[in-house]
Amino acid sequence: MARPDVPVTNSRTLIVWGWLAAHAAAHGRHVSVADVCAVAVSSARLGGAWLAAARGGEPDFVMGVTDLVSEQLAELQLTMGEGPCHDVLTSAAPVLAADLGDEEFSRRWPAFTPAARQLGAEAVFAVPLIVGAIRAGVLGLYRSSPGPLPDRQFGDLLILADVATVMLLGSAPGGAAVDDGAGLDGQAPDLALHRAEIDQATGMLTVQLGVPAAEAFARLRAYAYAQDRRLADVAGDIVARRLRLHRDRGQDGGP
Amino acid sequence: MDTDLLSDTFVDLADTMVADFDIIDFLHLLTDRSVLLLAAAAAGVVLADPRGELRVAAASSQEAGLLELFQLQNDQGPCLECFRTGRPVTAADLAGPGQRWPRFAHAAVQSGFRTVEALPMRLRDQVIGALNLFRAEPGPFDPADLRIAQALADVATIGLLHERNVRRTETVAEQLQSALNSRVVIEQAKGKLAERLSIDMDRSFNMLRDYARNTNQRLTDVARAFVDGATADFPPPARRRSPR
Repeated sequence: MARPDVPVTNSRTLIVWGWLAAHAAAHGRHVSVADVCAVAVSSARLGGAWLAAARGGEPDFVMGVTDLVSEQLAELQLTMGEGPCHDVLTSAAPVLAADLGDEEFSRRWPAFTPAARQLGAEAVFAVPLIVGAIRAGVLGLYRSSPGPLPDRQFGDLLILADVATVMLLGSAPGGAAVDDGAGLDGQAPDLALHRAEIDQATGMLTVQLGVPAAEAFARLRAYAYAQDRRLADVAGDIVARRLRLHRDRGQDGGP
Repeated sequence: MDTDLLSDTFVDLADTMVADFDIIDFLHLLTDRSVLLLAAAAAGVVLADPRGELRVAAASSQEAGLLELFQLQNDQGPCLECFRTGRPVTAADLAGPGQRWPRFAHAAVQSGFRTVEALPMRLRDQVIGALNLFRAEPGPFDPADLRIAQALADVATIGLLHERNVRRTETVAEQLQSALNSRVVIEQAKGKLAERLSIDMDRSFNMLRDYARNTNQRLTDVARAFVDGATADFPPPARRRSPR
């Protein structure tokens, strides 16, 4: 049971969601991948962004781009099979290549680096769209001048990545579109402070439901949303075995 | 201080840093040994996530009250102050009047802790996390113990970087996210194994860790493969306990 005085939401998350909601509203739609890309670019004053979904742990198809250079950078990596987007999915860690002129990147991506610089990219930042072992995609950005990404902007980028991950998993293939409240009706998704129980419950649900982790995670969120309960609280109940979910949703609830 | 245990601890930590190094396994060892070496009731390594959140990377116990204490420190408490100041922060009696962090102090006392210490994990001028120690008795930590505690916090920092070339300052941020995600993978695996075998989370964690060690694999890699359903020989076929 969450105690009322334990902080459950990170205030920065609410600010970032506010930007997303405002951008979406200005375009007359619910928050989408396009908004994530646009806000990522404007909040960090970068040149452009692209978002690719993953398949089999590799970047697969591009779901959003803000400009031509980003589109070309995304396609370059898919064609060459190398680059920051591949690295982030393999290592499950961001890549902050603040200066593509640094010899480290010529060594790491001998084909991608010169091609990217030819397109005008001098810095590339990529973050994985992941939740533990669940790999949904990658969000990449470039800048036409070298230079680091400040901590605050990096934090915002991570928050945007979390939103994008939830969106991609909310419509996980093989599991039909799951209404988990990931902005499908304009409501901020439950991006409360991280709790280990959420991850443990996800693992437990892979067994209870007999589904892959991505689907288990989507079902957990969907249940919390449908019951209008905090994700952490539902996860706590599952871990404490006060609650089980079932393959047949009609049987959800109870230990 | 048990100097044999101290020597063994540093040898063990150094050993863990060679092949098959896993940051979460390493930090788990560090928190367990911190408790023994420093006569603490509980210990945890908390990392500063640039999203604006203090995230637990490893703790000597998964007891809910303790984990809540780490989460409370997102609002107030020694870890938050430690991040902001870059200096060790102590409270030698959380039950007395005039507490600096009233909500945190109250929760800590409810969990049986009377003393708390936060040692900064520092890299040059950046504070990337803290080693958080709790004791059941009031009264300050022995200064000699605190020097060892700071050394352990420094070792935790080194572990996080682990042979990465820190030429680029971005390396720290990248490694930190990698560590945080590793923990998520391990928690997912714990849950799956606990449900599969009808065992508790502690036992589940120990099974994962033992299997990783026995097969010379990184704990995170084993956990990831298990969650992905890609481990043919784990868990080993054993007598199933009857489900609860």
